[in-house]
Amino acid sequence: MTESYEYLFKFLVIGSAGTGKSSLLNNFIGNKFKEDRCHTIGVEFGSKIVNIGGKSTKLQIWDTAGQERFRSVTRSYYRGAAGALLVYDTTSRDSYNALANWLRDARTLASPNIVILLVGNKKDLEESREVTFSEASQFAQDNELMFLETSAKTGENVEEAFLKCSKTILAKIETGELDPERIGSGIQYGTGTAKRISAPKRPSRTPSDCACRV
Amino acid sequence: MDSRHAPPGVNSRSLTAAQSAAELEVLKQIENVYFSPPNEFDAARYALNHVPSYTNTDDIEQMFTKLKRQQQVVSGKALHLISQQRDNCDKEFAEIQNIRQQLTTTLNTCRQARENLQIASNHLTISTFVILANVRKKQIIKSVLKSLDLLRSLRSVEKDVAELLNKKEYYSAIELILKSLKAASNHKEYTCIADLTSRLEDTLDMTEEKLDSVLSSICYSFDASVFSQLKRAYDLLGKTQAAMEQLHMHYSSAVNESAFEAVKSFVDNVSMETKFQEMCQSVPTNKAPTCLLNLCEKLFLVMRSYYILVNWYNKNEASSNSGNVCDIERNVSREYIKQKLKGGLIRIWHDVQSKVSMFLKSSGLEEYPFEKFIQMLGILRKLTQVAEVFCGDTSDLLQDFIKTQSVAYIKNYHKGRMEELKLFLENEGWEQCPVKSTFTVLHLQEFKQFKKYFKPKTDIGKSSQSSSSVHSLDDSVYIAKYFGQTTRTPFEIFRNENVTNDDIFGLEPESDVSEESDDEPDELKRDFVEDAEVKESPSKVSNSVIVTNTTLSVLRNCGQYLQISRYLPQIALEVIMLMNQLFDYYFFTVHLFFTSDLEVASSTLYTPKLNGVLKRISTLEDNFAIPKLPENLEKTEANLHGLSERIVGVESLIFLAKQFETLHPYLETIVAQHQRMILEHFRDNTLRVVGDLRMPAYMCSASKAVDARSALIGISQVRWDVKTVAGEHSPYVDMIVRKIQVFALRLENISQKVTLNIDIVNGIWGMVAKFIVHLLVEGFSNASKCSNGGRGLMQLDYRQLFVKLEKISGLKPIPYQDYVDRYVKAYYLPRDELEVFVRDRTEYSNKHLITLVGCACENKRDRQALLGVLEGREGS
Repeated sequence: MTESYEYLFKFLVIGSAGTGKSSLLNNFIGNKFKEDRCHTIGVEFGSKIVNIGGKSTKLQIWDTAGQERFRSVTRSYYRGAAGALLVYDTTSRDSYNALANWLRDARTLASPNIVILLVGNKKDLEESREVTFSEASQFAQDNELMFLETSAKTGENVEEAFLKCSKTILAKIETGELDPERIGSGIQYGTGTAKRISAPKRPSRTPSDCACRV
Repeated sequence: MDSRHAPPGVNSRSLTAAQSAAELEVLKQIENVYFSPPNEFDAARYALNHVPSYTNTDDIEQMFTKLKRQQQVVSGKALHLISQQRDNCDKEFAEIQNIRQQLTTTLNTCRQARENLQIASNHLTISTFVILANVRKKQIIKSVLKSLDLLRSLRSVEKDVAELLNKKEYYSAIELILKSLKAASNHKEYTCIADLTSRLEDTLDMTEEKLDSVLSSICYSFDASVFSQLKRAYDLLGKTQAAMEQLHMHYSSAVNESAFEAVKSFVDNVSMETKFQEMCQSVPTNKAPTCLLNLCEKLFLVMRSYYILVNWYNKNEASSNSGNVCDIERNVSREYIKQKLKGGLIRIWHDVQSKVSMFLKSSGLEEYPFEKFIQMLGILRKLTQVAEVFCGDTSDLLQDFIKTQSVAYIKNYHKGRMEELKLFLENEGWEQCPVKSTFTVLHLQEFKQFKKYFKPKTDIGKSSQSSSSVHSLDDSVYIAKYFGQTTRTPFEIFRNENVTNDDIFGLEPESDVSEESDDEPDELKRDFVEDAEVKESPSKVSNSVIVTNTTLSVLRNCGQYLQISRYLPQIALEVIMLMNQLFDYYFFTVHLFFTSDLEVASSTLYTPKLNGVLKRISTLEDNFAIPKLPENLEKTEANLHGLSERIVGVESLIFLAKQFETLHPYLETIVAQHQRMILEHFRDNTLRVVGDLRMPAYMCSASKAVDARSALIGISQVRWDVKTVAGEHSPYVDMIVRKIQVFALRLENISQKVTLNIDIVNGIWGMVAKFIVHLLVEGFSNASKCSNGGRGLMQLDYRQLFVKLEKISGLKPIPYQDYVDRYVKAYYLPRDELEVFVRDRTEYSNKHLITLVGCACENKRDRQALLGVLEGREGS
């Protein structure tokens, strides 16, 4: 499959269990909404090429499990993420309350410069809302996050969320605030054409100077 | 009359008898000559002539008297006779009068009759003639009228025909035209008719055209009543055969037309010149499945129409066949048409296939998302089923095409999955994913459908094999329904949003729901966390599951692959091979990541089978990018140089292999008999070999458990040429034991993070032991001088070491101890046995053996000989 892109962004979707992270991702990459999804085990993955300001950009999105027990497994995926969607459930106060923890994890494990967009999902379930737009909006402001309310079910704002986050990253690259060359930036240059990352040299097994033969 | 001839006077009444006698006498004397008629006889002359010659007066007197007398008598007689006859005469006369009168009356009557007759006859003749004349006139007028009528009807034929055509009474229309034509040709004498005839011809042509267009509309939707009308019309025209030929052309173009129409709506800027292929190429990918659906549906309508036509023909012609046997020509033509129709089935299917193939070829099938691809396959599968009903064709062309396209698709899909796998592996933290210890691949949602194949073992073969045949039968019955007169098509199912892939493929629905819901939530809903569980000590854990996130991802992919293979049974093997490639890649990566820092040269760490696999999977590099070595793996002494990650890596691979083996029986059922060998080979030579990877991987950490350099120094500091056997083991033993204790502690730490089962623990300790025995042999072989006592000390040392090691590791006996044991004890071997030892024990290096020989042989010649053996060994 030939795909060309100028940038590749590593993205995270994080947040408490059951907030609809996988549904957001699936909606974004074009799968159907499923009413009763199972909890994600570990990490799942999706990618999509989007056009941001005329630049085709590949989003490499890691959809992490929200359940606590997977925390140790998912943490290894944080490293070097350029952007993250921090998701809570507008109908669950608990998921909102956990945001601070998630945010801290993201900033410490991924990168302090990570661009985070706060997502209040399930806005279609207006009747059971527990978190108001304004308080979440305030939280976002206080923590320098962008903010959107979405519905993975109806698809409202889903694409916008990813695009908005990507746009911000791109803008930061252009202003020099983010340096794609830095290792662990979560950003890679595409070649504009299909690029095969050259296979890393296999480290040749050098027999040690240890004299013993096993 | 006689009486008249009798002498006159005989009958005289007045005469007396005498007189009468006398008179009679006189009469008698009259010569007969006198009775001659007067004009011939001259009585006077005769009397004179008969006067005798001598003549006297007497004689003359006498003669006179006589003659006188005679005359008197005769006169008398004559008178007498006359009077006698008078009455008779009178009577006769009266009679005559009477007759005359009667005649006159008769004449009058006749005259009268004639007159009347004439009157009558005159009267009769004239009226007849008038009548006749009138009749004749009437007749003439009638015929004129008829002609006029005809003319009028001829003039309105066009209109009537049009009306009939509107009413779809094609037969009557044709009949009307033909009749009219015939009538027209019978009335050529009218000048107006000539004009009319040509117009009729035109009408006929036009009507035929109309029939033709109706005929072509048959292609899209067969209507038996319309067609039978048409057929009769063509029969009437005597053009049945030509019409059938024409109909086939129509069908051919209907296929073209339908295909064009179906695709057109999905493409912008279509002109009539656009080629079908070009159009197909410009169908946007996201619309292609719907477009294909449309295409198939449209083409199906044509096929259905044809199918019904053939059936109709067979049914109707079969019945009419019995009627007329004598009409050979018609039977021949009928048979010809029948054959033509039969052949047409194949031809139309061929056309349809080529259209669909062309669409597929130019639509970039391999770019489709998985769901769409499956949907497309479903559509094509249905189409082949349709074909089977339609013409009994197994549609090899399309099947082959599906197969090659599927292979291409799955390869492309696989490429994507491999790239994704690389990403997963590069990002993998090699942390144990918390799953229940009973977790198997079957708990994954992707394998939900496959569960039933694994439960009661006996069912596997049966259900999967029988199901396929049953289905094809059901399918054909089911598909045949759509060939009836219905507006529904077998493709409708695809329009339904909620249709599942199983519906599409007509596969068995998933087994019992109740059963399902029992098991399903295990891994998905119910907690299978181990957070709360108290960690058991490693030696007690017998059954732990170590999986990584990537392992799960590989398994999920396998689920997808197997689903594909369900829908594409014909490429099941290819799919499985690709699935195995996922495994290979995982294998390759684990080996790459966790053995690349192996610091000991090894020949015995890699089993031949493991080497074989590694050699085979090293070819992956040719086709796929190799994952970058993880940068973030911490390798410190404290974490035993990433032992935890190594364990998770290797054990997850082993788990993965087990899961693949679990699938094996199922996989065997979906490939052909002769392909099973391939699977078995993979199982025996790859899946069952992964355990061997523990050795090199764990050795990486194990070899750092004891600092080799200081240990060797420690050994070298021992005096091996002592005379007496020491009572205490050497100090280096304690040093090594301390290191091992630290190792054990650190391993304990790891077991807090990773559930270590006994196999893992034993594997690790085994490597530690292996490293230590080699270390010892290496150290001992450095002692160029060694006494009996020294040999004893060596034994004492390693025995002590093994006792400690057994305690710490729980391994009993310590594996590999023979290696050092045998080496040390070789010292005691007599010369001959030592020679055998030196020659055959290739696991020891020459350096080891040279020292051994040097210590063991007092005799210089023996020593030389044995060293010679060693050199020879090296040479060979």
